[in-house]
Amino acid sequence: MAGEPQRTEGKDQGGTLKGSLLEELGWTKYVGQDTGTWTGEPVLARDVRRYALAIDDPNPIYRDPGAARKVGGLVAPLFYVTWAVGVPGSERGTKELGEDGLATFVGIPDIPNVWDLGWVRGGEEIEFFERVHVGDRVTVNGKIVDMKEKEGKSGKLLLVTSEFVYTNQAGEKLATHRLTMIGTPRKEAGHG
Amino acid sequence: MASQTFFEDVREGQEIPSLRKDVSPVSILMYVASVWLMDRIHFDQPFATQRRGLPGVVAPGNMGGDYYAQLLSEFAGDDGQVRKMSFQFRNFMLADDVLEVGGRIVKKYMSEGKGIVDLELWIKNQGQVNCVPGKGLVALPFRKG
Repeated sequence: MAGEPQRTEGKDQGGTLKGSLLEELGWTKYVGQDTGTWTGEPVLARDVRRYALAIDDPNPIYRDPGAARKVGGLVAPLFYVTWAVGVPGSERGTKELGEDGLATFVGIPDIPNVWDLGWVRGGEEIEFFERVHVGDRVTVNGKIVDMKEKEGKSGKLLLVTSEFVYTNQAGEKLATHRLTMIGTPRKEAGHG
Repeated sequence: MASQTFFEDVREGQEIPSLRKDVSPVSILMYVASVWLMDRIHFDQPFATQRRGLPGVVAPGNMGGDYYAQLLSEFAGDDGQVRKMSFQFRNFMLADDVLEVGGRIVKKYMSEGKGIVDLELWIKNQGQVNCVPGKGLVALPFRKG
C-alpha cells in the first residue's frame, strides 16, 4: 500500500542465544537482526491534534499554529515520535489480520508462530534530541538486540528487546528508543 | 503554560506538580484510532478477559509514556528540555482508572554546563498501585544565564 511506511534499507544478520523455548520456536537467529529502515508519510496536523486529545494534553503547541511559533511551528507531543512512522504492515483489511486485530508485531517481522503468544509491553527507554514537527517525514531504523526467557507466575515468558533510532528528513536525530515486549502463552493453544 | 522553573529553585526530594488522568474506553479508543493500533485487548472486553486473561480492557502502555512526557514537559517549561525517560509496565492501566502521574527529584547536578535533574516517576491508580514506575532526566535553565 502506497500510504504505508516504506522499507528503505535493511538486511538480516545472524545471532545466537541459549534458551529452550526460544530454541524450540527457532527464534534465536533473530537476535541482532536489523529489522529494517522505514520512512513514513508527512506527519499530519490532524493526527497530532487527535493524539493530543487522546492523551488529554492541553499544550497549544500541538494544535494552535500561533502558539507553536515559539517552537518553529506545530509539533507533536514528545512520545509521538514512536508513532510518527506508523507500524509497518499494520494497514490491512480485517480478513488479513490476526486474531488480536494486528497484522504485525513491532520489531519482529514475519517470525513463525509469533501469534502462539500474546504480547504486551514490558518496558521502554527513550532519549529525545529534536522534536517532531507537522510535515516531517520521519525515518526509523530498528534492530532486535536481545531475547530472554523467564519463568513467570503462569509459565514461561519471552522478553524481546528492540532498539529504534528516529531521524527526520534533514537527517537530524529525533530520538533513540529501546522497547522490551513480553510474550506470554495464550489461554488456549494456537491461533486461527 | 506555567511560569518557568529554574535549576536554582529545585531541591532533591521535592515532588513536582502531578497530573490527573481519567482513562476511559473513549480515551483509549481515541488513542488507538489516532495511531492505528488495532489490538483487541484495548477495546474488546470478552477477548481481553476470556482469551487473554486480562482483568479488563487495558490502556495501551504507550499512553503512560505520553503521560510522563507531559508531566516532564510541563515541569521543564519552555526553556528546559526533557532528555530521557524510562519506565516498566508492572500493572495494567484499565479503562475507568483514575491515575495520578507524578514525580520526585532524586538528584540535581551539573553536567556539561547544564543543570540536570533526575526524577523518579509513578503512575498510581485509585488503589495506590504504581502501574508504571519510571525515571526521568530533565535539563533546567539557570536563573542567572
